[in-house]
Amino acid sequence: MKYLIRFITRNAAGGSEFHDRIVEAPVITMGRATDQVLHLKDKRVRLQHAEIERRDGGDVHITTSALAGVTVNGKSQRDARLKVGDVIEVGANVIRIIEAPDGVDFAISFELRADASSEHLVSKWSAPSPGIGGWSKRRLSWTLAGAVLLFGFLLPWFGMQGFLAAGPVHNAHSGIANQCGDCHVTIFERVPDSACMDCHTVTRHVDDAEHAVLGTVRCATCHLEHNEPPQLVNQHQALCADCHADLPATVGLQRAGDFLDDHPQFKVSLKRPTPLDDGSLDWQIEHLVLADVVDGDRSNLKFNHKAHLAADGIMTPDGKRVIRCSQCHEPEPGGVGMLPVSMDEHCSECHTLAFDPDDPTRTVPHGDPEAVLQALIEYYSARLLGDDPDATGQRLRRPGQKLTRADRDRVAAQARTQALDIAADLFERRACVNCHEVTAVDDDALPWRVLPVQLTDEFFPHTRFSHAAHDTEVTSCDSCHGAGTSEAASDLLIPDIDNCRECHGSGERRRNSPAQLTSTCVACHGFHFDAKEDFR
Amino acid sequence: MHESILVFRKRRYLWLALILSALSMAAYLLHDPQEPPNGGTVLGYTLGTIGALMILWLTWYGVRKRRYASRAGTLQGWLSAHVYLGIALLVIVLLHTGFQFGWNVHTLALVVMVLVVLSGLYGVYLYMKYPERMSENRGGTSRAELLSQLDDIDRRARNVAAKLPDAYRDFVDSGIQRTALGRTLWQRLRKEDNSRIRIDGEVVENPGQEAAMDWLAGQQSRADATLAATIAELSALLRNKRQLLRQVSEDLRLQAGLELWLYAHVPLTAALLVALTAHIVTVFLYW
Repeated sequence: MKYLIRFITRNAAGGSEFHDRIVEAPVITMGRATDQVLHLKDKRVRLQHAEIERRDGGDVHITTSALAGVTVNGKSQRDARLKVGDVIEVGANVIRIIEAPDGVDFAISFELRADASSEHLVSKWSAPSPGIGGWSKRRLSWTLAGAVLLFGFLLPWFGMQGFLAAGPVHNAHSGIANQCGDCHVTIFERVPDSACMDCHTVTRHVDDAEHAVLGTVRCATCHLEHNEPPQLVNQHQALCADCHADLPATVGLQRAGDFLDDHPQFKVSLKRPTPLDDGSLDWQIEHLVLADVVDGDRSNLKFNHKAHLAADGIMTPDGKRVIRCSQCHEPEPGGVGMLPVSMDEHCSECHTLAFDPDDPTRTVPHGDPEAVLQALIEYYSARLLGDDPDATGQRLRRPGQKLTRADRDRVAAQARTQALDIAADLFERRACVNCHEVTAVDDDALPWRVLPVQLTDEFFPHTRFSHAAHDTEVTSCDSCHGAGTSEAASDLLIPDIDNCRECHGSGERRRNSPAQLTSTCVACHGFHFDAKEDFR
Repeated sequence: MHESILVFRKRRYLWLALILSALSMAAYLLHDPQEPPNGGTVLGYTLGTIGALMILWLTWYGVRKRRYASRAGTLQGWLSAHVYLGIALLVIVLLHTGFQFGWNVHTLALVVMVLVVLSGLYGVYLYMKYPERMSENRGGTSRAELLSQLDDIDRRARNVAAKLPDAYRDFVDSGIQRTALGRTLWQRLRKEDNSRIRIDGEVVENPGQEAAMDWLAGQQSRADATLAATIAELSALLRNKRQLLRQVSEDLRLQAGLELWLYAHVPLTAALLVALTAHIVTVFLYW
């Protein structure tokens, strides 16, 4: 189909001019889009506003989907049949149907109306919105910023200093440090050591000037407050390993970098006797590599753990009884170490020191051989001189009659003989010899020598070890001490490093097996102590 | 061709943000301080400094976007970087805290910062969704075009009313003058139509041009054929006007949504600057 479009422009004086354009297309599209046949530069017009099209019957129609429609002959319409003379208004554009010249199917003229400016009655709605309830962003900003300022500085001002703290104060300090200034002595300066030293005294770690640690590093470098979880002690492997994994030879310490595979064998502290010239023993504590202790625990005690821990029990005065470790080895308060085992409390119930079957409650004292003989002599003297007529070997005398000197000497001699008989029985066969080393000596006053016993109290005095902390579901006394198979007291029932490594691993988690706990140096060792010699 | 800020220049700022976050996380995992991870370790101070500088730079966007003459990068690039680095900030600052939180001024700064970032993310969501909905609602035209169409209808209504008795002219004029959609953000969000109209000397509520159309319908039923036809023409124009008002209302609602999140983002940013200052001053006040 061939259309003619006549573009009419009018000048200010009222004259008009026009130019024609022939368009061959099925429809004449009009709208604001640039691809339209009639390009209408008017913001009221849609991109594709309307179309002029000849239908099958030959009628030419204009159709639009715009809500405002098009105005045909002054009437707003969506679809109108067009005839010559009709006037179409689209926004400020005026289109007229004109007589088609020869060779053209349909002709229109197009012109822009003079009063093209719109009234903008509703332009007020495009104005910027005036905020929320009259609050501009600027006003809201100042208000919120002020609120934060008040919150941040007023709360602490009114006693809530904790609002400024980066984290909680450790329980150990919470009772004594209630104000920031208690530790933060000078503002904008870091916490000085003096704030710590007001309460704490600290032993040294390394004392020579070159390697001095304390005094050159602030306390708060390692001991940090306000962390969560609260942790005052630096437990990092590097705290120790940075130096101890690579110490100069002159220090004379073995290297220690990681408990898992870079740690010396355990050294154990043992009380050991040295015989002196006068026959007494000099007990000294020796620090020995555990694996190198060939002669075991030299306490001079005789004891068979295996027999006592027999699974089916052991004979006691009350019949057979199963004995557990804890019946003799009782934890001290707090559970760190064990209370000493004592003869009176733990042994004497079975190992009675009775000596006279006729008088089973009468016992000799424990711990002093001379006192044992003395007690026996006194016992038998009393019996020989006493009033009991049935007493063995007692001589009859008249009432009021005094013993003669000869009688007295004879009774004393007799009592001593009897006491020595019983004592020999006790020392050599029945009682003392069960647990003690007893030797017969050529000494009239006391013809036996009992080797004194001294038990080691602490085997690892410079490591932190708590029995209570190791009382778990997976551990028993036996898993470390193995007492159930020990038949001699000289067996050193102290676990070695491999035993610990079953559960304790490296300070680096990734190096451990699933069964191993991450264990750094500080798990067992302290930093501030002065016992370097023990580790040489 | 239009390019979303999210894909600006092959997502270069997304990659920058990802690299920054990945580096921070790697450093956090590899760093093994002799204390629980916190803002006071070497890495903690480093991340904190980076985070603080980023906050200042991100805030500077508010200044940059008003500097029309600035040639420091395109504004589109700035916004793209603003969005992606703002998200990376969340990662960096969380690592800076060592995941230690408490009721204190330091966590307050963190919380305010998180709120700023979250409000920003909501803003990004709106900017991705709303413009599309707006053009869908406007059917390819602009708000100004919708308003011009309204103008056009109003003008034509006046032309039609000119052919009718004076009562109709007053009716149409008052209806046009008292047409009012929401003015504040809240009103626009709720699509309030506060239009009124004077009918028979009495001003009545006219939301959705309902009252006007009811009155016209009543008049039409009592009028003779010629008058009824003209009234029908007026009714048709009012129906179109109602439809256009709905579109404008929806347009205003969407635009209000686009503006509203900034009423959280901007004031929270101001609060963050104060909280950040309080955080830094406090840390060194009680070093």
